[in-house]
Amino acid sequence: MAEPEYTVASDSETTGEEKSSSAFPEIAIGIDIGTSQCSVAVWNGSQVELLKNTRNQKVMRSYVTFKDDAPSGGVSNQHTHELEMLSGASIFNMKRLIGRVDTDPVVHASKSLPFLVQTLDIGVRPFIAALVNNVWRSTTPEEVLAIFLVELRAMAEIALKRPIRNVVLTIPVSFSRFQVTRIERACAMAGLHVLRLMPEPTAVALLYAQQQQQTIHENMGSGCEKIALIFNMGAGYSDVAVSATAGGVSQIKALAGSAIGGEDMLQNMMRHLLPDSEIIFSNHGINEIKSMGLLRVATQDAIHRLSFETSVQIDVDLGNGSKICKVVNQEEFQEVNREVFEKCESLIIQCLRDAKIEPDDVTDIIAVGGCSFIPKIKNLIMTICKRQELYKGINPMEAAVCGAALEGAVASGINDPFGSLDLLTIQVTPLAIGIQADGNNFVPIIPRNTTMPARKELAFTTVHDNQTEALIVVYEGEGKKVDENHLLGYFKLVGIPPAPKGVPDINVCMDIDASDVLRVLAGVVVPGSQQAAIPVMEVRMPTIDDGHGWCAEALHRTFGSKLNLVTVQKKI
Amino acid sequence: MRCYGLTPIHGSECRFFYPNATRSIPIPRPNSRFLSSSVNFFPSKLVIPSPRTPACSLRATINDVFVTEEAAGLSFYELLGIPESGSLVEIKQAYKKLARMYHPDVSPPGRVEEYTKRFIRVQEAYEILSDPRRRALYDRDLARGLHLAFSARTQYQSDEGMEDRNEWTNRWQSQLSELKRRSQNRDGGGDLSWGARMRTRRDELANEL
Repeated sequence: MAEPEYTVASDSETTGEEKSSSAFPEIAIGIDIGTSQCSVAVWNGSQVELLKNTRNQKVMRSYVTFKDDAPSGGVSNQHTHELEMLSGASIFNMKRLIGRVDTDPVVHASKSLPFLVQTLDIGVRPFIAALVNNVWRSTTPEEVLAIFLVELRAMAEIALKRPIRNVVLTIPVSFSRFQVTRIERACAMAGLHVLRLMPEPTAVALLYAQQQQQTIHENMGSGCEKIALIFNMGAGYSDVAVSATAGGVSQIKALAGSAIGGEDMLQNMMRHLLPDSEIIFSNHGINEIKSMGLLRVATQDAIHRLSFETSVQIDVDLGNGSKICKVVNQEEFQEVNREVFEKCESLIIQCLRDAKIEPDDVTDIIAVGGCSFIPKIKNLIMTICKRQELYKGINPMEAAVCGAALEGAVASGINDPFGSLDLLTIQVTPLAIGIQADGNNFVPIIPRNTTMPARKELAFTTVHDNQTEALIVVYEGEGKKVDENHLLGYFKLVGIPPAPKGVPDINVCMDIDASDVLRVLAGVVVPGSQQAAIPVMEVRMPTIDDGHGWCAEALHRTFGSKLNLVTVQKKI
Repeated sequence: MRCYGLTPIHGSECRFFYPNATRSIPIPRPNSRFLSSSVNFFPSKLVIPSPRTPACSLRATINDVFVTEEAAGLSFYELLGIPESGSLVEIKQAYKKLARMYHPDVSPPGRVEEYTKRFIRVQEAYEILSDPRRRALYDRDLARGLHLAFSARTQYQSDEGMEDRNEWTNRWQSQLSELKRRSQNRDGGGDLSWGARMRTRRDELANEL
C-alpha cells in the first residue's frame, strides 16, 4: 500500500480529543468497484448501510462518459437506455483493464468493446480512447476510475454530510501488486486514502464471520470453528476463498482467482450468435459500434433471462441489414461457455486443496456476485462441495461492499457496544512472490496463501566465476517461468567479492508488513566470514511503473544470463 | 508514559520465571473484548485505555508470556499455551485467541512492528502444530531435548537442506540484526529487538518512579 494503514492509528494520538468529541468519527467507507457495477456502504453506528445516489440507487453502473465539457460517470448520470453506454463515448470495464499491458489476453479480449482498445503487443499500456464528436479521446483506466471515484466520493459526502477521505476497497484475488498500485493511484487522484484493500471474497468472509458471531451471541452457543467456501463471480473476475471462522476471527485459509467473468460469457455468446462479430466490429465505425451495442444489449438480456428460464428467444435487428433470430437454451449456453465453467471448477478445487479442506468439512457455501445467479454456477459449486443448498443469509449483490464497510469501521477503530465489530481478518497472500533464478525460472520466496504479515527467505548463489553483480528481479504470480508472471521490480546487488561460481551466498528475504508493504532484502556472505560482504540492500516493491512488460523484455535482452543467480543446491 | 497492554507490572517476579519443557505455562485468559462487550480489556486500534485500569492483572499475564518467551525460548506448545497432548481443536482455538491479541490489526498505536513479530511467531507455531507430519517431527526433537527456538523453524518447513538452511538462517539473522543496529541510530530505537525495547521500557519506568 502506498501509505501504511496504521498511520491512522498514530493519527489518533494527535486527533484523539477531536475524535472523542465529534458526534460522528471518521469511519472509513467501503467501496466495491465492480467491473460492471459499483456500490458504497458505511457502518452507521449500529449496522452497515448502503448509500444511495440522488436517484435512490444503491447499485450503480461503473462507467464514465466523455463529452465536450466534463466527463460524467454512472453515479450522477443515468442513461435512459443501456445502448447509450455503448455509443463509444463511454469507457467501462476499467477494472478489467487497469494495470495491464497490451500483451495481456484480457486486454485483447476488450478489443471488441464499443470504445477503442488498441494494442501494439510490445508490453506497454494499451491505447484506450472514447469517441467524442467523432474524435478518439485517449484516456487511461486510472483516469476513468478516478473520475468515477470522484463522483462516488461526492455522493457519499452528500449522504453522510461530512468529508470523506478514508476508504476500504475490494479488489479481485488475481490482482497483482502492480495493479494494486494503479488502484491506489486512481484513489489518490480522487482525493481518497486507501485504508485497506480487501480481496473480494475475504470481505464476504468478514461479513459471514460477523453474522456467525451474532448468531452465537443470540443462542449463547459455543464458538466452534466454521468453514466457509466463498465463490464470487462478477463481470470481470472470479474469486474463491476458504475461511475458518470462530469467535469473530475470520482466518483466510486459501484464495484463488482469475480474470474470467460475465464479460467472457457475454462475448462467447455474442460470437455464438454472430460468428464473425469481432471482425465486423474491429474497425469501430459509427454504424458498427451501433450494431455491436444492439447485439450486446440483446445478448446480455438473454443471459439474464436464462438464469430463470430454460430457453429464450433472441430477436435483434443489427441495423446494417442483418437480423438475428435465434432460440438459445440452457444447454447451448453452457456448451458455449464450457471453458469458463471449467475454469470456475478448477479454481474452487484448487482453493479447497490449498486450504487442505475436504468438501465434507465445509460448513457453508456462499455464492456472491452477478454471476452467482447463473444456474450452472450454483450447480457446479454445490456438486464440488456435495451439498444441496447454498448459504442464504447473504445478499449476493451487496456482500462484498458490506464486508468492506465492516472492515472500514474496524480499521477506523470504531467500537460497538454490542460487540458487532469485534472482528479480525487474517489475510493470506493471493499470489506467490519470488525472483528470477536458474535461468528463466520463477523461484517463489513467499508462496501463495502465506499468512500475512510474513517474512521468508531463500539462499542463492552466483552462476559465473568472479561474478560481482547480481540482478534481483522480483515477480509475482503462479507461472513456472518468469514471463508468465507480473514483474514487480528489480535492483542490482553490486560489490559481490570475486569468487568462483557457486561460492558466494546470496540471501534474498521478502517481508510483507502489517500494512501489506512488500520489501525485498538481499545480502551477501562469503563462506568463512561471519560478516556481510556488502551492506544489505532493502528495496520496497513494486518499483516499476507503466510498460513493465517492455521493461522485463529489455532486462532480459540487455543482461541475458550475465547477472543470473541460481538456487543453492540442497545438500543431503 | 502511557501504559499500553503489555507494560510490565512492577514487583512481579513471575516475568523472570523460566518455564521447563514439561510444564505448560499459564494460559492467558481469554480476551474479553471478543467475548463480552461490557468490559474492554484489550485496547482496540484507536481507543487507548486510561493508564490504570482494573485490567492490569490480565495484562501482566499476557506480558509474562512474552517476557519469559523472550528469556527462555518457549516451545510452540508453551507459546500457544496448550499442553503437549493438546488436540487440533485446542491448537486452533489457542491460535485464534492469540491472533486476537497479537495480530498487528489490533495493535495499539506505534507498536505495530512488535505485534507483527509476535503474530508471525504465533503463526509459525500454529502452522507446525496443526500439520500432523510437521508436528510429529517437532515432537520427536522436543522429546530428544532439542528445545528449539524460532530460529530453527525452517527445519519443519522443508525436509531438504536442513543444516544448510539453518546455518543460513543464523547468518542471515546476524546480518539483519547488524542492519537493525545500524538503522536504530537513525530511527531513534524504532527497530530495537523486542527484548531490548522491553528492557528500555522497564528502565524508563524505573526512572519515572
